[in-house]
Amino acid sequence: MKDLYLVGSLPWWVIALVGLGTGALLVQQFLSLKQRLALGQSSFLVFLRTCVYILLIFFLLGPALVDKRVTKLRRPLTVLIDSSESMAFPASSKATQDGKPGKSRLDLVREKLLNGQEPLIQKLNRDYDLRLYRFGTSVEPISPGSLSQLKAQDEGTRLLELLPRAATDAGAQSGILLFTDGITNGDQKTLDGTPALSVPVFTVGVGETEGFTDVRIAEVRAPEFAFRGREFKIDLTVQAYGLKGKSVPLYFNRGKNLITSRPVAIDSDSFEQKITFSFNPKELGTHSFSLSIPAQPGEQITENNHKEFKVDVHRDKIRVLTLSGSPAWNYRFLRMAMKQDPLIELVSFVFLRTPTDTVDVPDNQLSLIPFPIDDIFLEELKNFDVVFFDDFSHRAYFNPVYLERVKDFVRDGGGLAMLGGFRSFDSGGYAESALKDVLPVELDNKGRYQTQATVRPVLTASGKVHPITRLLPDPKANEEAWAKMPPLADLNQVRGARGETLLSASGDGAATGSPLLTIGRFGKGRTLALMTDDVWRWNFIAVGNRETPQNHLKLIRQAVRWLAQEPAFEQVQIRPIPTSRPGEKVTIKLRVLKDDFTPTPQASVQLRVFGPEGEPSLVSATADSEEGEYTGEYTPTKEGSYRVEAEASLAGKTLGKDKTSFSVAFPYGETDDGRPRTDLLKQIAEASHGEFFSINDWNDKALDKIAAKLESHAPSQIVEQRQTRLWSTLWPFSIILALLSVEWWMRRKWGLI
Amino acid sequence: MDRRNFIRIVSQSILAASLLPNRAAYSQEKRPIQFVFAQIKYRGGDWNPHPLAVTPLMEELMQRTSVEAATAKHEVAITDRDLFNYPFLYITGKYEFEPFTAEEVEVLRRFLSYGGFLLADDALGQQGYGFDMALRREMQKIFPGNEFKRLPSGHAALRSYYLLRRVGGVRIVNPNLEGITLGNVTPVIYCQNDLGGAWERDQLGKWTNACTPGGEEQRRDAFHLGINVILYAMTENYKDDLIHVPFIRKRLTRTS
Repeated sequence: MKDLYLVGSLPWWVIALVGLGTGALLVQQFLSLKQRLALGQSSFLVFLRTCVYILLIFFLLGPALVDKRVTKLRRPLTVLIDSSESMAFPASSKATQDGKPGKSRLDLVREKLLNGQEPLIQKLNRDYDLRLYRFGTSVEPISPGSLSQLKAQDEGTRLLELLPRAATDAGAQSGILLFTDGITNGDQKTLDGTPALSVPVFTVGVGETEGFTDVRIAEVRAPEFAFRGREFKIDLTVQAYGLKGKSVPLYFNRGKNLITSRPVAIDSDSFEQKITFSFNPKELGTHSFSLSIPAQPGEQITENNHKEFKVDVHRDKIRVLTLSGSPAWNYRFLRMAMKQDPLIELVSFVFLRTPTDTVDVPDNQLSLIPFPIDDIFLEELKNFDVVFFDDFSHRAYFNPVYLERVKDFVRDGGGLAMLGGFRSFDSGGYAESALKDVLPVELDNKGRYQTQATVRPVLTASGKVHPITRLLPDPKANEEAWAKMPPLADLNQVRGARGETLLSASGDGAATGSPLLTIGRFGKGRTLALMTDDVWRWNFIAVGNRETPQNHLKLIRQAVRWLAQEPAFEQVQIRPIPTSRPGEKVTIKLRVLKDDFTPTPQASVQLRVFGPEGEPSLVSATADSEEGEYTGEYTPTKEGSYRVEAEASLAGKTLGKDKTSFSVAFPYGETDDGRPRTDLLKQIAEASHGEFFSINDWNDKALDKIAAKLESHAPSQIVEQRQTRLWSTLWPFSIILALLSVEWWMRRKWGLI
Repeated sequence: MDRRNFIRIVSQSILAASLLPNRAAYSQEKRPIQFVFAQIKYRGGDWNPHPLAVTPLMEELMQRTSVEAATAKHEVAITDRDLFNYPFLYITGKYEFEPFTAEEVEVLRRFLSYGGFLLADDALGQQGYGFDMALRREMQKIFPGNEFKRLPSGHAALRSYYLLRRVGGVRIVNPNLEGITLGNVTPVIYCQNDLGGAWERDQLGKWTNACTPGGEEQRRDAFHLGINVILYAMTENYKDDLIHVPFIRKRLTRTS
């Protein structure tokens, strides 16, 4: 069908002027012709000319014939189906008849799209150029046929990141149909700052907010590391829906051990309460903590009732307790070495007075304090890392049964150093005490304390490489430094060494070959025996000899660190393991050093990983290089905290142990909050000029509504127009030529030409 | 406490000590000497105004405390090779002495800076004259710009064993101690009350000098101060450790 349109571009006032001019010309022509012809003849000729002029003026208006053809297009429609883990949650709070949770959110979507005589997915496929995708952390196309196999297993939902991209890719005429519960946990959590959506988005909300029942632990804020003996706080938020009037217990555990619990009274349907726990860690290492609330009746999501986190507990200082039998220069310089070391916190007791000493004033004029035996040995000992017995004998001061506590302390991982002197080793009666088995030297009650000797330290093979006696990094310089050490005058001689001797005595008489510095292990702890009370000379006499006192200070500080099992002094060291996700291979790296602290690739390494439920797995570890580096691989299958324990041995002798833990978690926290976010879906629909539907309202009418909305937004009919200008055709020219020809012929006939 | 009581307690203590089984032999055989009172021999003046002063103090030290000490003093020159075997030094005198040589200044500086201790005792008791003038002059050379300052009443040296409120000596020229403090330690303590004179007995066991005006109580204060200073030298600021503070504060409150 063709329609006539005036498409001229001249302004109307120009055409009106031309019309007026033409009219005036015709009047002038008529008057001129009337003088020579009859009225009828004149009028006829002017009529012909008028016709010509009218035609010309008409063509000034740009008459054109427009031919319109209407074509209906197949509109593209992008359908996005949420396949994240939260879509596996129950769609409704109503349980089935047998008490089990109802169908999942994804099941409901499938049911709505696939069930019925003519499934809606087929209708969509018929009416639209259907593009079907599943989405979670990414978008992937799927075929309608594979919809029934779709599983809710994406570990996160990056809805607000993926939707603008899908809208851009969809094209101008299209729309987006979004089936989701609205849970989004990508970087973008709200619509603010999200790029504008260029096509209408029809959101179909899955899951019910009405009747949604859940209690969850949200927003746990705990420090990644803490200091031993210093309280740290854990802030958390408990959220609950549909549990008004109930009180639920909240448990705070370390590993399997309950630290504390408290009831949480839920006083509203949409409940939120911030809670703070505190904990004072007493042990070093990585500790796994958990917060949990038991599953409540009718609760739809129980995965979020439990949160785990771990805290690395470091020591801010090495706590050292020294017991000195009397004031002595050895104590003076030992104290100096420790007090100047910022890593060491020293608590010392010096026995200024023996039971046989008399005083000439009342006790209240003395600064002496009673030695708090019970407090120290029954209560406080566990809070120290290292205990020094400095020329100290228990015999005059307390029952030897207290030494059992010291033995337990070392067995549990503490460090014990015994320094020589008149009151030490055999001379101090330790051959008959609980410490006999603990100390790294053999006591038989026959050892003696030798004075006025000349004792020089000699580095043994182990001593040359051990971190305690490594005063200088260069081995040769280190040996020279030891050779320059001033001689000592006193030596405790014992039957022999049971541990590793780092320094042996050289000098006059019986002293030669005796152990001077010996180290050992007992249980989880470490022990050290320094068989003299004269090492202050290595400091002060060295100063007098214009040598450095640093060697003595370094020896003391390194001994303290080794005894306290500072990580740098561990023979087995597991490297930190970063957080991973289920199914991802975890590489566990560790370093193994021999007793002489040189790396060994020949060690037998037993690596065990304990899962969140405590289930053990043996992991094989192989040496990577000559540098004592070992690697094992483990693939965790589920979220939670995993514990790693490593033990290395060489030629049947244990070199050391280490343990750590790592977390396995999906980074999105998809199952943290299962509450459908209908509000967000409504916002998306409104912002994009689409519409929100509840999944329960999803039917043929909803399809019609979508079709109408899309049509109003961007019609699907395309009108094709073909325009033909009349001036461009032969007809106007022919008519004008014919009119002018008739006029010319009549003028000739009537004798005007 | 009056003089009579003091003598009674001391004599009882000596008696009690004598009843102990072979205490002296026990000490010699088994208990090594942990402390030697070393006295500086210097040039000029009078370096040894009280030759018998040290033994009574050492006996008192051993009787009251767990320290085993050599009863005789060790005389040492600053440049002796074995000076650093004796971290506790005592310098006393009445008169001006010759200036220390550069080597002596340097040795003493090292000695006092790295853990050694010096007790200075003015036997003349004339501020600005004689020994006092010479000591201050030499200390200024050893620690330029670090002058003697009065030790506060809460200083660790005044509570290292006895809770001292008074400074004893033959005469109370200065009721306070002075010291040179480096960081948080005081390696030089100076008493102007002639401590040595108060400690000294003659061969027959009689006190050589009378203490005025406080008499035997003032002498007892001198002994207490000697013991405190020795223990301070051997334990540093031990009594400033947090564990001692509440006990000491409590006792000072009760006795004040």
